[in-house]
Formats: sequence, structure tokens, C-alpha cells
Amino acid sequence: MLRFVVRRLLLLVPILIGLSILVFVWIRALPGSPADSLLGERTTPELVREYNERFGLDDPVYVQYWRYVKTTAQFDFGVSIATHRYVTDEIRERFPATMELALAAMLFATFLGVPLGFVAAKKYGGPVDHASLFASLIGVSIPVFFLAILLKYVFAVRLGWLPSVGRIDVESDVEHPTNFYILDAIITRDWATLRDVIRHLILPAIALGSIPLAIITRITRASVLDVQNEDYVRTARAKGLPPRIVDRRHILRNALLPISTIIGLQVGLLLSGAILTETVFAFPGMGSWLRDAIFNRDYPVLQGGILFLAFVFVIVNLLVDISYAIINPRIRYS
Amino acid sequence: MSISGRTGFARVVVCDDRSTRRSSEGSRVSIVEAEAVEVQLEAPSGLWRDAFHLLIRNPGAIVGFVFVGVFVFAAIFAPLIATHDVTEQNLPLIANGCCPGPSGDHWFGVDLLGRDVFSRIVYGARVSLLIGLVSVSIGLAIGLVLGAMAGYVGGIVDSSIMRVMDVMLAVPGLLLAIGIVAALGPGVKEVMIAVGLANVPIFARLVRSSILAQRDADYVVAAKASGIRRPSILFAQILPNAISPVIVTATLAMATAIIDVAGLGFLGIGLQDPDETPEWGSMLTEVNEYLQTAPFLALIPGTAIVISVLGFNLIGDGLREALDPKLRGR
Repeated sequence: MLRFVVRRLLLLVPILIGLSILVFVWIRALPGSPADSLLGERTTPELVREYNERFGLDDPVYVQYWRYVKTTAQFDFGVSIATHRYVTDEIRERFPATMELALAAMLFATFLGVPLGFVAAKKYGGPVDHASLFASLIGVSIPVFFLAILLKYVFAVRLGWLPSVGRIDVESDVEHPTNFYILDAIITRDWATLRDVIRHLILPAIALGSIPLAIITRITRASVLDVQNEDYVRTARAKGLPPRIVDRRHILRNALLPISTIIGLQVGLLLSGAILTETVFAFPGMGSWLRDAIFNRDYPVLQGGILFLAFVFVIVNLLVDISYAIINPRIRYS
Repeated sequence: MSISGRTGFARVVVCDDRSTRRSSEGSRVSIVEAEAVEVQLEAPSGLWRDAFHLLIRNPGAIVGFVFVGVFVFAAIFAPLIATHDVTEQNLPLIANGCCPGPSGDHWFGVDLLGRDVFSRIVYGARVSLLIGLVSVSIGLAIGLVLGAMAGYVGGIVDSSIMRVMDVMLAVPGLLLAIGIVAALGPGVKEVMIAVGLANVPIFARLVRSSILAQRDADYVVAAKASGIRRPSILFAQILPNAISPVIVTATLAMATAIIDVAGLGFLGIGLQDPDETPEWGSMLTEVNEYLQTAPFLALIPGTAIVISVLGFNLIGDGLREALDPKLRGR
């Protein structure tokens, strides 16, 4: 097991190096030089030269790359052009929001998708099965932002059951030590805030969770259909185990293996979807922040934000691989 | 078996095998006779023909073809179908607030600037179809070459290509596309390149694995033994056999590309001038504040996206079932 983890960690190194080169090249490919975007249009050549000298922008490319790697490794992404705050500080505020949203979406998708897929497979060919196939087809065909707008229209605008924008009531002035609002509310035992935060989270989480829900339902169904014809299931049935126990111990447990990989693969989709969902619900996470950064040509934010999200994505995939190896011994020894 | 029946060597084996089986089923025919029948039976069939027959009997796929048909028809004949000029603003129409809904003159109502929504939807089909097709082609072409090289040549070529693909896959798709558009600037061509490049690693991985599965197959060994050159083996022998999952993925990628393009449009970073070139995603951008009074402004372009995406997904699923009988009903 340890060898597997070490090998997997070593594989991370070339990816991170590649990623840093990709982002470094990308920043240089962006239109307009950093000096232009920071100093504005009315700058003089002298000012630009002075700026370039001060920040070492005249140095050879490899020197610049090395300096960039050094500062990035210390999680120093510079200062936002729009807000003049440290990008790292903004990430600290916004990342927990996106994380909370993504986790809620994943919980929704998993806890609804696995039972739904299981029932569909058990009732193979029946109306439940057909309905689940149809629903998952619609699920992958609806753009996240359109579903978000629909949910907002029905449940916030029409019915008024849930709030339509933001992460917390605007009049709330509660302290947020960790910026994970749910966690904060639980720590401080502030149940009213907890309720408010959850109410704000429901619609965005459902919108964001719809595609993973569709995929998880489908994979669970296929996987249960595969497993329930295995010899060990037949043996378990033949020796007279109650169907409930066979379902749980023999079928579901083995069927969950491919599902756990799929859940890991959804992280990228969730991060992409978060940008759109957060925009619809004005949810103050990484997504809406990056969107604004594109409009403001806020390069330090874009650079830091994209690098950070890609980093998170890589780490989550690593964790998924490791947990997969823990669940499935067959992987470890191959 | 007809998959591997592309080389003469494999065909003989297949026929021989089938004719013995057939004669053992009871009817007394000689192997030669059986083979003659078999060859006759074989002549009009084949993977693609079988797949086609399965596909047109699949109700889901038929619905898919209808949806995509409507979409393509609207895209091609947009100038004939559209009832108004897409940029023509009719401000008096919205004088009493936003926005008058569907009516005889404006079938889908008018938008915030009094423009005809129906005509904009019809022209939007053009933009979506064009960008979708070109971007999937870009992703497919580059991914096919890279994946084929990686899978067939192997060694250092394989690992260097696949490491680059890993890095690209490390950035979530939409984020990668946003990054590329940010670097290139907004515009139709730029969005095509961005969405296309984001697709490259997906195709490269798929083609590589599907070629790896074929590389040591008997018919490849036979082709090698008969002295066919390596590039020719790759392109004339292996690729045609490894292509069916790629076709399925390409169809599904059309669906994803339409969603991605609409997503970029919705974020307002897609096209240079969404007022001039109507695009479904960007039509949804400003309606957020008008949900109370004019929900149809969101519903109509959204439904257009869902129908075209659903169409490609249905065809893709149908193709997958038709080309891989093991997956039927999954």
C-alpha cells in the first residue's frame, strides 16, 4: 500500500511541473503586458521600463520561470488588480464556498443516484428503470446554467420557498473563522445561521449535482446489472442467504467499486459547473470570482485561481486513486 | 467477427469456423457449400451495415435523428426560416416593460431590445452547429494523430505525448477553454479553437487505448508478416478497427461542445459581438433579472440547447449500442 502511494505521489511531480509550465506560457500568451494592464493606458515608456526592471520582466525567460515557480510554491500569487488584495487571501475566502457547494452537490448526487441506480437495476426493464434512464439522459443534456435558471425561477421567483442569490442572508453579520459557513455555524452553535446557510445552498447544489446524479445513476445501474450475475451472488443466493443481505453485502459492495472512480472523475465537471452555477446564483465562490477576473483582465487572479483549481483537481484525483486502492485490493498489486 | 475480417487471412479463419458450426447444427451441407452460402450472406453485411440496421430500429436514436435533423435544418436554411432581421430592434414593442411574449408576428416573443427571439434562435442554431462541428473536428483530428502515435509507436513517444495530455486533463475542461479564450481573445474562431483543444486529450486517450487493444491482434501480426509498412498498418488496418468507440465519443462530444459553447456564451466570454451573431448561451445571460416578468426569454433558448444536445446524446447512445452489442440496454 505504501509503495502504491509513493509511486502515485512521484507521478504527481511531472504533472505539477507540466502544469506550472502550461500556466507560465499561458500568462505570456495573454494579450497586453503586465505593465500595461497594471499601469493603465496613460503610462509613459519610462514608467513601463522602470516597472519591468523592478519586477524583473526583462530577465531571461528561464530566470523568470524559476522566480515564478519559487513564489508559486509559497502560494504567493500576487495582488488582485481589481481589489488590491492578496490573491491568496481571496482564495482563502472563496475556495471554502466553492468547496461547500461542490460537496453538497456531490452528496446530493451520490445519495440519490446510488439508490436510484440500484432500484433501476433490480427492476430491470420496468417502468422505474425506463424512467431512470430517461431522467439521466435529460440530466446530462441540460446545461448546468439553464437548470440553475429554471430552479431559481420555480423555487425562488415563483414559489418563493428558497433564496435566489448569495451564500447567506445579506443582513447577517456573523463571524466566519473557517469560511466554511456550515462548519462555522456548527462550531458556534448558531442554528439560525446554519438553517439560513443550508437554505442558500440547496438550489445551487441541486443544479450543480444534476450531471453527476445522472452519471452516477447510470453507472450504478450498469454496475449492479453486471455484478448480480456473478457466480458469488448465485452462490450466496443458493446457500439461502436472505435477499436483503445478498443485495447489500454481495451486490452493492462490489458494484460500488466502479462508482467510486466515477465520483472522483466528476470533480473536474463540478469545478467547471461551479463557475456557471455560481454566476446564476451570485454565489461568492471561486467560479464567480474567476468570471469577474476575466472581465476585469485581472491576470494575477486568473493565474492564481486557475493554477490553484488545477492543483486541487490533481490532489483530489490522487486521493480518489488512493482510496480506490484501499477499497479494492486488486488495484494495489497490479 | 467481420471486424477482424478485413485481411484475407482472418476471413478464411472466420468462414471456416462458421461453416463447420453450421454443418454441425444438423443440416447436412458440405463445408464448401456452407462457405458459399456464408459468403453470400456475408456480402451485404458487415459491422457498419449491421450497426446501421440496429441504429434505425432504435427508437431513442430515431428521436435523436429527428432532433438533430430539425437543428441542422434550421442552421442551414436560417435565412429562409427567420421571420425578422436578427439585429432589428423594435423598441416601441418594449415600451410597456419587458417583454411581450409570443404573438402572431413574433412567434417566440421579443427580447430586451425588441428583437425577434424566433429568428435569433434559428440563427443561433447556425452558430452552435458550426462551432460544435469545427471544434469537435479540431479535437478529433489532433487527438487521433497524437493518440495513434502514442499507442502504436509506444516508448518515449507514448510517454511524452501522454504526459502532456495528463497536464491538459489536470485543468477542468471549461476552465481550460476559458483560459484559451482569454489568451486568444473572443470570437467565433477563437471559441472553436478553445473548445477543440479542450477535447484533444479526451480523444488522444481514447484512441491510444483502443489502438493498444488492437496492436497485437492476429490480423496485425498477419499484416506485419506479409510485409506491409508500419504507417500503412496503422492507418489502413488498425485505425478502421479501433475507430468505433471514437465515433461514439465524437457524437457525444458534439453534445458537450454545444453545452460548452453555450456556457462560454452565458459567461459572456464567447463571441466578439453576441448582438450581431445570436448565440443561445449568451441569449440566457441577461434574462436573469427578467425571470419574474419574462421567463420565456430563458425557457426558449434553454430548450433549444437541451433539444439539440439531447439529439446528439441519443444518437451517440444509439451508436454505442449498435457498435458494441455487449452494451445493449445498459
